[in-house]
Amino acid sequence: MRSKARIVLGALIAALGTALLAAVCHAEEGDAVRGERAFQRCFACHTVDPDEPAKLQGPNLSRIIGRPAAQLAGFAYSEAMRTAAAAGLVWDAATLDRYLADPDAVVAGTAMSIPPVRDPQERADLVAYLARSGRDRP
Amino acid sequence: MRGLTFALSMVAALSAPAWAQESKYYELAKGDYPHDVAVGPKGEVWFAGQKAGIAGRLDADSGRIERIALGKNAAPHGVIVGPDGAPWFTDGGQNAIVRVDPASKEVKVWPLPPERMPYTNLNTAAFDGRGRIWFTGQNGVYGRLDPRTGDMKVWDAPRGRGPYGITATPAGDVWFVSLAGNYLANVDLETGAATVYEPPTKEQGARRVWSDSKGRLWISEWNSGNVGLYDPAAKRWKEWKLPGASPRTYAVWVDPDDKVWLTDWSVNAVVRFDPESETFTSFPSDRPGANVRQLLGRKGEAWIAESGTERIRVIRAP
Repeated sequence: MRSKARIVLGALIAALGTALLAAVCHAEEGDAVRGERAFQRCFACHTVDPDEPAKLQGPNLSRIIGRPAAQLAGFAYSEAMRTAAAAGLVWDAATLDRYLADPDAVVAGTAMSIPPVRDPQERADLVAYLARSGRDRP
Repeated sequence: MRGLTFALSMVAALSAPAWAQESKYYELAKGDYPHDVAVGPKGEVWFAGQKAGIAGRLDADSGRIERIALGKNAAPHGVIVGPDGAPWFTDGGQNAIVRVDPASKEVKVWPLPPERMPYTNLNTAAFDGRGRIWFTGQNGVYGRLDPRTGDMKVWDAPRGRGPYGITATPAGDVWFVSLAGNYLANVDLETGAATVYEPPTKEQGARRVWSDSKGRLWISEWNSGNVGLYDPAAKRWKEWKLPGASPRTYAVWVDPDDKVWLTDWSVNAVVRFDPESETFTSFPSDRPGANVRQLLGRKGEAWIAESGTERIRVIRAP
């Protein structure tokens, strides 16, 4: 009886591992070329050009992956974003994915009002594009 | 007894607002996220539920809310009530102008031509005096739709991305502002050509614009925290800084008495500016993080969309 339970547990763990692996693989399936087109959603307020001269409403997203939230000098972040940063928010593929899907769920009271990016593939593409941004610079 | 009477009268005097007013709040469904709001001819209140992709209709008396789906991928940003009494939406999700029939609730969608720009980030709209609706797309366009024929034209905006608020004067002239471009522009109603007018403060972040009864343009300046005024007849500018250390002026609406209503995110408040006395009166929200992106109303009523708390607020004059 005990060994049967072990088998079931093992099968569950294996299934969970497979699901996690699939999720990770799915996250890695983002296409930066498609992401560049999807970035039109963000274009009004953001840039990935580190030399962008325009004063935009959102922070520069060049090399955003791995950056702690609210870290760009000279940008007037909202109180909500500063609070999230103080709580340890770091922009990686997972946090960006969740933020694009529902900004307020990640940073309550954020100033960003992007229409929700409901398609997981489009979010993965956007993250892939952002992951590429600024990497051609030293 | 005399002392008590005096004390009570002092309490009354100290608590009396500069402008006797009543605030009421209406809770919306979680996830509706009211971005913009507008009032119809019978006092019905429409809101753009951006996250839920719906048109919301609030009956102010009963508090009843009707939610009308605008279509797959809908994410409406702006709403105005047209000369036909119907709500018209600028729907960024569908990249389309959308009308809801106020009686049948039928939804009609006019998509923008996708070959020009698949996603324009549609922002707000205004009707000219000839029954045509003009709109802005924050990714760098503005356009015009004639709903009778379906004819739609889209033009590149000066300085690219940034077109945000748009308004029509009582004479039917159309003006818009550019948030990233930092300008006010007037459009030629036939050719569509835009003429740029530079506000006195550089990089002021002109976010929204509204006309008063005389055709003067009032502008909420996000970066500078100013309210700006451009008088096309006199060709003159004037600007006032909102109270506080670092105001962030988001929305503007001018009421039928030519009082200028604004929202200031830095103090979480609606602010009313009296152009005659050049004074500001503040009406803070009763909850933090109201994030009011737009307000609009009619005589005696200012209707306010609290995107941050997912509520509609009304401030009523006596």
